[in-house]
Amino acid sequence: MNAFTALLAMMIFPGGLFLLASGLAYEWADRKLVAQLQNRQGPRWFQPLADTFKLLAKEEVVPDGVHRGLFWGLPVAALAAALTAALYVPMAGLAPAASFPGDLIVAIYMLSLLTLCLGLAGANTYSRFAVIGATRTLTQLFSYEAPFMLSLLGPALMAGSWQISSVADYAAGHPWMLLTQPVGFVVALIGLMGKLELPPFDAPEAETEIVSGALTEYSGRGLALFRLGKNIELVIGLTLVSAFYLGGVANPLAFLLKTLALLFILAVLQSLFARLRIDQTVGLWWRVGALLALVQLLVVVVLKGMGVL
Amino acid sequence: MEQSVQANKKFIVPIGPQHPALKEPGHFEFTVDGEIVTGATVRLGYVHRGIEKGCEDRNYAQGMYLTERICGICSHVHATAFALAAEQLAHVNVPPRAQAIRVLVAELERIHSHMLWLGVQAHEGGFDTLFMYTWRDRETVMDLLETLTGNRVNYSANVLGGVKCDITDELASAIHKGVDFLEQRTHYYLNIVTNDETFLGRTRDVGTMTPEQAIRIGAIGPTARASGLQRDVRINAPYAGYVDFPVQIVTAQGGDLLSRTIVRVNELFESIRLIRLVLEKLPPGEIAARMPRRVPEGATVSRVEAPRGEVFYYMKSDGSDKPERVKVRTPSMCNWGTVMATAVGHKLADMPMLLAGIDPCFSCSDRSVVVVRNDEPQAMTWEALRQYGIGYYK
Repeated sequence: MNAFTALLAMMIFPGGLFLLASGLAYEWADRKLVAQLQNRQGPRWFQPLADTFKLLAKEEVVPDGVHRGLFWGLPVAALAAALTAALYVPMAGLAPAASFPGDLIVAIYMLSLLTLCLGLAGANTYSRFAVIGATRTLTQLFSYEAPFMLSLLGPALMAGSWQISSVADYAAGHPWMLLTQPVGFVVALIGLMGKLELPPFDAPEAETEIVSGALTEYSGRGLALFRLGKNIELVIGLTLVSAFYLGGVANPLAFLLKTLALLFILAVLQSLFARLRIDQTVGLWWRVGALLALVQLLVVVVLKGMGVL
Repeated sequence: MEQSVQANKKFIVPIGPQHPALKEPGHFEFTVDGEIVTGATVRLGYVHRGIEKGCEDRNYAQGMYLTERICGICSHVHATAFALAAEQLAHVNVPPRAQAIRVLVAELERIHSHMLWLGVQAHEGGFDTLFMYTWRDRETVMDLLETLTGNRVNYSANVLGGVKCDITDELASAIHKGVDFLEQRTHYYLNIVTNDETFLGRTRDVGTMTPEQAIRIGAIGPTARASGLQRDVRINAPYAGYVDFPVQIVTAQGGDLLSRTIVRVNELFESIRLIRLVLEKLPPGEIAARMPRRVPEGATVSRVEAPRGEVFYYMKSDGSDKPERVKVRTPSMCNWGTVMATAVGHKLADMPMLLAGIDPCFSCSDRSVVVVRNDEPQAMTWEALRQYGIGYYK
């Protein structure tokens, strides 16, 4: 890859502009769907973009007592991590910009880095809401991370590779793993909701308890960057799950249809439940989620060992 | 603030006066150990408006409209309580038709208040879908109240000596249609609050209050009825038209948030039944009696069951056209103690639902004052506060 194509990949597609635009578009689709399900009107199509511009233009208030470097740097690191993760994922159904054996692990950890930045950003301030939000963010990280990872390893084991593109290729050539590994699919989907702190897993940013959680003290640019990072995480998460479980994303049309279908399921799940307390979230993941994912993984390993698959 | 936190080795989460969970200003301090609440204090007084004093400068008719504005949700019960007290002092016999219409409006108001509460409670628990649904359906009853009285919020259905709006056949059929729809929706909501696992997870065994505790703290209204107490002014001391239209008490035994929800949802059915009964057996006749301008000397009390519990009015007349003293005690005031008593030991995440669980009305409550000084909350009586104020400004 020469310097020009590398720059193109990072700035325009699949990283950079394309990713930002699709992140905003998916955020809008998510908000609109949830609003419609809740019998509300929902935002206009350019609302996420308008929000972003508004936040970028606002003065950023740096509260007393924070580490200024961290306060400025964490949102940048979070967004950078999300953007980097996208390079290994078959965005829009096209081949990933960069690929090497084991990039699945890198991509997953890049996405966790974003959550870690969020937690640190909360712990960096003196605000009690932010500190509690940070504690909850990190607690939640430890609860969904392992099951989510295990649920993505199932398809990887089937494909015999830890390279995202080859798993996606394998998925495209075989029956949908949604059918062969339904448990893994459910765990992955709900893990994604936990990762994105969507309702009912929004205890880390429960507005009626702790205002805005870890991001309470962020107002301008930092908040905009964190929001963009989360939107990108949403797109990447949807892409990963549909590439692994919904028979790959072979072309842009399949990508669009499959991710939007997943988003619809996410929106329905978001509007169906009351918020879980953080202890309920942890209990759910470690008593049910992790166990189910492990059983699924075990079944795959055993069947593969017996040569059935 | 940081120094005081370190000095006390306490981690205090302040909720309010401005906080997304609060629709009105109030201040709560929860001492937490991790997520577990170890202490709770409340400070009110941000919306003290001097309404009681204001009543002394206005004549009886004006005073009624003023007290109606104590609370936007239960405006009718305040006006009714004021009117009942004034009518009692003036020895005015209110026609039965007017008393029945007062019951009708009160029950419509109860439906609107309980549905609003259900939405708020769902929102505090992060269940925004239920919030949006209940508030959408609540529009039905708001529309009914508007058709009936001309207003959505402060209906002003009462005048001293009766009511100002009559029920026509047309109106009656509109109300029938509205409550039919609401009854069907209420069945749906009862199903949700008793069967949805995530909602149950947030309400079951949260803030449990035994009947003994409820009696000791002095809980009233649905909060007390959820602990199994038979406390309902409409039944214990029927007023207005409730003598002719008896209410069946709705109670639950759990004492937790779930029971409080179930009591309120079941009260919706009871209100709907009463509304139908009133429409069916509406007595004929006048809707208002003549009320004298000057009210004879005397003092009286009146008690009315608001959606939140008992509203208590004391009224003293000196024979002029203005009351000498009006004292209001609102239900939220009595129920604050239950929140503070049951909060300890629960998770921080339960606090918004626990606070909203008594259906608090902050503006109503602002009658006594708790002053936080030296970080130690200190309760003062009204007399002590007055002396303190005189000394302070000397």
